[in-house]
Amino acid sequence: MEIAQEQDGDVMIVRLSGRLDSSAVSTAEEGLSAATVGQPPRVAIDMSGLSYISSAGLRVLLVLAKSVQQREGKLALGGLVANVHEVFALTNFDKVFKIESDLTSAVAAVR
Amino acid sequence: MLSFPEEIVLLLLDETRGAFVPLPESVFAIVMSGAALMDLELRNRIDTDPEKMTVVDRTPVGDDILDDVLVGLGKKSAHLDITDALYDVALSAEDYRVWALNRLIARGILREENGRHLWVFRTRRYPIIDDTEQQEVRARLRHLVMSDEIPDPRDIVLICLVDACALMGVVLSEAELQPATPRIEQLRKMDLIGQAVTRAVSETEAIIKFAATTM
Repeated sequence: MEIAQEQDGDVMIVRLSGRLDSSAVSTAEEGLSAATVGQPPRVAIDMSGLSYISSAGLRVLLVLAKSVQQREGKLALGGLVANVHEVFALTNFDKVFKIESDLTSAVAAVR
Repeated sequence: MLSFPEEIVLLLLDETRGAFVPLPESVFAIVMSGAALMDLELRNRIDTDPEKMTVVDRTPVGDDILDDVLVGLGKKSAHLDITDALYDVALSAEDYRVWALNRLIARGILREENGRHLWVFRTRRYPIIDDTEQQEVRARLRHLVMSDEIPDPRDIVLICLVDACALMGVVLSEAELQPATPRIEQLRKMDLIGQAVTRAVSETEAIIKFAATTM
């Protein structure tokens, strides 16, 4: 899995690509915790390059969402591919996260 | 911090009598199995997706129950069906109950009391000496269910296990239980092994009910 970040005004944009599973947990945890430095954090995650997510990957995102909520920040995910969206729906994670069709909408949602 | 097998054994003990709350053995076996598998999941030894469960790390965690489960899973193929794994581990659930009880006694949370009922039948009770953990878990789960707070992964597992044992009634009052049902359903679906536990428990209860009505 690869993770890239860029700052767009007060929003931190994170791009995830590849597979987010147990082998990618440490990389994802490190990258995502670095993305929540803002006070309050505003984070938009581009999921369009993410082809697979397992339970371990979902947990990483859940911990991030909880951390953002505790600091009264905002988090949105954009551009989920069909099979990843399916996993979110199956596990009710789509009710926990703000999910937008693409990154532009995700950025707008956290502004 | 207690392991999930220890947590579920503790939550199943009636704090006033020190006896286990009534639960069919087959349901207990599934719940205990789910507790062990979800614990290994949170310790990054297994990973799941909607299709399969995979052992991703066979390094022992230093817990007799979890390591026994891990060794058993490691003997099978790399990719497992979650429900098959659940039923396989459930075969050892009674041993795991005894191991968990012994550990809770060793930690000073429970004590074992042997006695007799009607001067004839041997009885064994496990009065709770230190109920801090039990009360903390109940308070945390109650807060989570009654709020919109994002759960942490550990609380999702506990909700799955408590709900599978039909123990939400000890966490919430009768008046709170009904309105909280949609939130409980939302939370318990958030773990794939937890979903398999809920399905397996429902199927088992249906079989027990069917058997009871046709005998």
